[in-house]
Amino acid sequence: MTVFKPLLLICSLGLSGAVLAEDASVTISSPADGAKVSASAPTTVTYEVVPGPKGDHVHLYVDNGEAKVLRQLKGTTTTVDALKAGPHSICIKVVDKSHTPIGVEKCIKVTAG
Amino acid sequence: MDLQDLGYALTQVVHNLGAVSVTGGAAAGRGLKFAEPQAAQRALAALVLGGWVAQAASGVCFGAISYLGYGRFPDIHGIAIGALVLKMACAAAGISVAALYLAREARWSGPGRQRAWTAQLALALTALAAAAFLRWFS
Repeated sequence: MTVFKPLLLICSLGLSGAVLAEDASVTISSPADGAKVSASAPTTVTYEVVPGPKGDHVHLYVDNGEAKVLRQLKGTTTTVDALKAGPHSICIKVVDKSHTPIGVEKCIKVTAG
Repeated sequence: MDLQDLGYALTQVVHNLGAVSVTGGAAAGRGLKFAEPQAAQRALAALVLGGWVAQAASGVCFGAISYLGYGRFPDIHGIAIGALVLKMACAAAGISVAALYLAREARWSGPGRQRAWTAQLALALTALAAAAFLRWFS
């Protein structure tokens, strides 16, 4: 019983962290998932992030490579360099202060042409 | 209170105290007149050695806390990785110079000890500068 109580406490703290992490969210409103984008001009990405209690800022990835660190979270747009013709993925991941992804992310696929 | 945030905060306390120890200790050591007792210099060298060890250990702890919390290490690239490597190199060099100082300073001349403190101060300031880039780039 003396061992059980601390374990229960640790588990409950972990659980509360998991529940709180669910309060975070990422929305990419533009481009739409599956959209076609220009291969000759930068692509504008419009997004909105709720970092939740664990998140701090977001990282933007193009084809799994980090492209930008974004610290503005609400009602914001950013651009990614012109994409080569073909399919690409764009992801925004919420990270904590140490730049570790907390597991909340939004990814879309676009085709540049 | 979130355990992970508490872990990060306590680790940051150790990391900051380490930074103060290596920078302040090296600056004080370099400013000492070398007619002053060797014991004072040895005490400062021990403080600097402890500071570097605290820096290295707390740096490892930052990564470990991230891994325990999310199953992965911080996602850093480019400039941030360069800054991290530079910090690790400074810590390794700082520990080496401080340990060497404690082991052999009795056989060193005044200018030799002065050079050791100058090197320590340069390493400390370089690590501090790198820390800023590691914090704000990823």
